[in-house]
Amino acid sequence: MAIIEFDNVSFRQPSGVMALKDVSLSIEKGEVVAIVGGNGAGKTTLLKHLNGLLKPSSGSVKIFGRDTRDQSVAELSKKIGLVFQNSDHQLFSETAEAEVLFGLRNFGFSEEEAAKRANEVFSYFGLDGLRQRAPLTLSGGEKKRLCIAAVMAWNPEVLVLDEPTVGQDFPSKNRIFATVKQLVAARKTVIVVSHDLEFIWPLNARTVVMNRGQVVADGDPQRIFADGRLLEDAGLRQPQLVALSKLFGRDASFKDVNDASEWLANR
Amino acid sequence: MAHVLAEGLKFRHQDTPIHSLDPRIKLLMSVMLFSVALVSDGPYQLAVTFAAIAVPTTLARSLRRMGRVVVVSLTFAAFILVVNILVGYPLLKSLSITLRFIAIVAATSLFFVTTSPDELEYVMRWFRLPRDFVFAFVTAVRFVPVLMLDLTQIIDAQKSRGLELDKGGPIKRLRNLVPVLIPLIVNALIRSGELAEAMESRGYGAVKKPTSLHELRLWGRDYAALMITVGAWSGILFAFRYYIGVV
Repeated sequence: MAIIEFDNVSFRQPSGVMALKDVSLSIEKGEVVAIVGGNGAGKTTLLKHLNGLLKPSSGSVKIFGRDTRDQSVAELSKKIGLVFQNSDHQLFSETAEAEVLFGLRNFGFSEEEAAKRANEVFSYFGLDGLRQRAPLTLSGGEKKRLCIAAVMAWNPEVLVLDEPTVGQDFPSKNRIFATVKQLVAARKTVIVVSHDLEFIWPLNARTVVMNRGQVVADGDPQRIFADGRLLEDAGLRQPQLVALSKLFGRDASFKDVNDASEWLANR
Repeated sequence: MAHVLAEGLKFRHQDTPIHSLDPRIKLLMSVMLFSVALVSDGPYQLAVTFAAIAVPTTLARSLRRMGRVVVVSLTFAAFILVVNILVGYPLLKSLSITLRFIAIVAATSLFFVTTSPDELEYVMRWFRLPRDFVFAFVTAVRFVPVLMLDLTQIIDAQKSRGLELDKGGPIKRLRNLVPVLIPLIVNALIRSGELAEAMESRGYGAVKKPTSLHELRLWGRDYAALMITVGAWSGILFAFRYYIGVV
C-alpha cells in the first residue's frame, strides 16, 4: 500500500525557479528509499513536501491517502519525521534529554509517556551517557544521532533523513549507517536524501535519482548505480565498490567492503 | 515579515541607469528624497513626493521590490496612524503623517535596493569612517540574507518537530520563539567567530593603511544625475514653499 504519493508535482520557488517539475513518486510502507542527486537537484524541496513545509504549485502530494494541502505541518510531522541536514538548526535545549522531550511535548504526550519514550530512544540509540550533556557541546556525529533520536521518540511512521553524512567523519558515518540499518531492520519506512553514494550504496535501497527538479531514474540500485553516465549527468560519482566490480568484470557489484574483500581473498 | 523586508532590501545586480551610478550620487539622491519626504505635508505635497520617489525607482526597475518594503512598513504605519489619532490629531493630519513615514521608508530604501554592499563600503570609506567600523557594518549588511536563510531553515526544522509558532496567546507565542532564536543566535555567533578567524588568517589588520582595489570616480552620467537631482530637489522645495500648499 502506497503511503506517500506524489502525483505530477511541480513547485515554483518565489524567485520563479522551478525546483520540481512533474515529479511522480509512490512509496510503500516499510520501503527504504534513497533519493540521490547533485546540489540543486530538488532533493530537499521534494522532502519538504512530505510534511507540508512546502505545498506543490501544481499536482498533489498525498500522505496516507490525504492531500497535504488539507493538513498542518504539525499533523503531518507526527507521521513523517524529518531530520534536517544541519543539526545546529534544531538543537537549542540545555540538555540532550530536554531536546528529546521537546517534540514529545509539542505532540501532546503526557509527561509520564514522554519520559518513558525518552528513556527508550536514549537506550535504543546508545545515547544514555549523553542525557545531561548540553547538545551544543556534542560532537557532529552525536548531534546527528541525537536529532534522529529526538524525532524517533514520537515514533513517526516514516523517517526522512536529509543529507545525514554531511560534515561527519568516518566513524560517525558508520554509526549513522548502523542507526539507519537498525531502523530498516525494525521495518520502518526510511527515506534517505543524499549525494553521498558511498553511504547510500551499502543500504541496497530503492534509488530515486533527481536532476534539475526531475526524477530521472527510479528503481533497482544495482541497475542505477551501474549506469555511470546517468550518475555523471546527475552530478554524482559512481560508488567505488561499483566501479571496482566493473573493473573486475563482475555482473553484480560488491554489496559492501566485506563482500569485496571476501571475493578478492578467494580469487 | 522580516523575511519580506530582507528580500525587498536585498541588493540585486541589475543593468539600469540608477544602479550604474556612483554610490555617492545614489546616496545624495536618497538623502534629498528623504528631506523632501520629511518636509512634505498634505495630499498635494505628498503626491509630489511619491511621484519623485517613483521616478528613480522605476528607472531602477525596482518598483516591485520597493512595494514589498512599503507593504512591510504598513504595520508600523498603521501603528503611527492609531497613535496620532489617539493623541488627538484630526484624521487627515494623522493620515498625512503616516504617508510621510511611508515616503521616508521608500526614499531610504532606494539607496539600499540599488547599492551593493561593496559600493556601500566604498562610500563609507570615502567618508573616512574607521576601517573596522566600516568592515563590521558592511559585513552585518551582507549577513542579513544569510541569517534570513538560517531563520527559514530553523523555523522549518522546529515546525517539523511539532512547534506551532502561530498558536496560543501572546505569551505562548513569545515562548514559541525560544527554539527558533537560540539556534539562530548560536549559529550567528559561530559564523562570526569563523569569519573573524578567516579574516585574520588572510591578513586583516596586518597593516594600518591597507591599499584599495577600487577607488570611487565620477563619470559624465554621475554629473548629469547630480545636476538633475539637485535641480529637481530645489524645484520641489521651491514649489512646496510658494506653489503647492499643505491643503
